[in-house]
Amino acid sequence: MAEKPTKVIDARGSYCPGPLMELIKAYKQGKVGDVISVYSTDEGTKKDAPEWIRKSGNELVGIFDRQGYYEIVMKKTR
Amino acid sequence: MPEARKRALILGDGAAGTIMANKLRFHTDPSQLEIKVIGNSVNHYFKPDGVMIPFGFKNHKNSVKPTKSLFNHGVDYIHDTVTSIDLENHSVRAGDTGEISYDYIVIATGDRFSTEDLPGYNEAAHHFYSLEATLELRQKLAEFKGGKIVVGQASIPIQCPPAPYEFTFQLDQYLRLKGLRQSTEIHYIYPLNRVFTMPNVSSFVEKLMEEKGIMVHKLFNVDSLDPVSKTLSSLEGEQVPYDLLILVPPHKGQKLMTDSGLADESGYIDVDRNHLNYRDYDNVFVVGDATNLPISKAGATAHFESEYLANRIASEVSGNAFFESYNGEVACTTITGGQEAITLFFSYSKPPRANFQSKSDYFLKWTSSDTYFSAMLRGIM
Ligand SMILES: Cc1cc2nc3c(=O)[nH]c(=O)nc-3n(C[C@H](O)[C@H](O)[C@H](O)COP(=O)(O)OP(=O)(O)OC[C@H]3O[C@@H](n4cnc5c(N)ncnc54)[C@H](O)[C@@H]3O)c2cc1C
Repeated sequence: MAEKPTKVIDARGSYCPGPLMELIKAYKQGKVGDVISVYSTDEGTKKDAPEWIRKSGNELVGIFDRQGYYEIVMKKTR
Repeated sequence: MPEARKRALILGDGAAGTIMANKLRFHTDPSQLEIKVIGNSVNHYFKPDGVMIPFGFKNHKNSVKPTKSLFNHGVDYIHDTVTSIDLENHSVRAGDTGEISYDYIVIATGDRFSTEDLPGYNEAAHHFYSLEATLELRQKLAEFKGGKIVVGQASIPIQCPPAPYEFTFQLDQYLRLKGLRQSTEIHYIYPLNRVFTMPNVSSFVEKLMEEKGIMVHKLFNVDSLDPVSKTLSSLEGEQVPYDLLILVPPHKGQKLMTDSGLADESGYIDVDRNHLNYRDYDNVFVVGDATNLPISKAGATAHFESEYLANRIASEVSGNAFFESYNGEVACTTITGGQEAITLFFSYSKPPRANFQSKSDYFLKWTSSDTYFSAMLRGIM
């Protein structure tokens, strides 16, 4: 991954929509240019979070499979 | 030598605290367990009627009872406000009462509306989440002559996640009955990319919304509202003007929980999802809306949790083995409009299925305040 996250949210074990709501909270508190990463084990979030990132006009840096969880990374562009 | 009488202390006198106390009384011998409840409400309001009262579909007088009248014989009710909790010393402090010690504590203080998180909310928005606000909204709807109504929720989580769509369907029905539906646009906003948290229920509800001509705005996370231009703006960059805004306020857990170190800034308490105890304290439990469990904040949840927990504490007090766990079971009946409703059953591992709606389920919902006050709160079901 090229960019180092400015904020990491560990939402493993939390269920939909918990991880997405955590991401939105971090987005609200952050500033343009921030890179926010969410760790999650919830399958629904894999679909919900990228949809929200796109709709909100931000950048989806990537979705990465980790051991036993996955990581969604976004960049705050607005 | 007989064992000393144990003391159970329940904080909160809403749905969870009342059901818990009354159930625990049924399951235990008063000579073995003293049960005290501390709560600061004067009246107990049956909140599900918030989707009936604004439309005159029910009279609010049947939805309220004096709190202190709802505890069974053998439950000691103290009307007071808890100001601090000290888990290490097994005690709490309350305003006039002072210090109270316990052997078991059950926290059932629910949550609160954090309108400070959304500037302008109090001037601009109406809601149906408290009796006072519901009666104001009833008045507002009575004066309404047509225009644009926006319905939704300011954030997640909220109490009773289906209530916003139930309200919207009731609103549609009410406007049809009043002959105002043609001259009114109903806009429904929702934070996720669907109309309800649970995907299979969401597709059922979304189809009904389409049939009823309700306009849906998905992925709408409320960012701000402007009471002057009457516009609601989302974080995603969308703006929706309104004539009447009906927005469920943002929720948080009680500040007392954050201040006492039991919860983070959200105020919701982290509990073991299968045993309902807080961290590794085996005498500290949390039930109802005060938890951060990944299930609906609902009276039905409080009911199922209390059934589990009352049995557990009773077994411990009487020295019996207890092997059960709470699996996240919830059952709830939700209105889908036109005097129809669906009943959803779900747990941590089983998502609900929404198959068909029926008039009998609506009847069940309409009469649920009677069942609630006479049986559910009393701990006999
Ligand atoms: C519009 C609407 C519709 C709903 N529909 C349904 C439905 O159809 N089905 C369903 O199952 N649920 C429904 N619910 C949700 C349900 O009402 C709540 O989940 C339920 O009331 C939660 O119970 P509780 O005891 O955890 O919290 P509450 O009922 O809020 O009770 C908490 C109590 O603690 C007291 N308290 C708080 N802090 C203190 C303190 N420091 N000291 C002393 N006392 C304190 C408060 O005064 C309050 O009485 C609905 C809710 C709303 C708003």
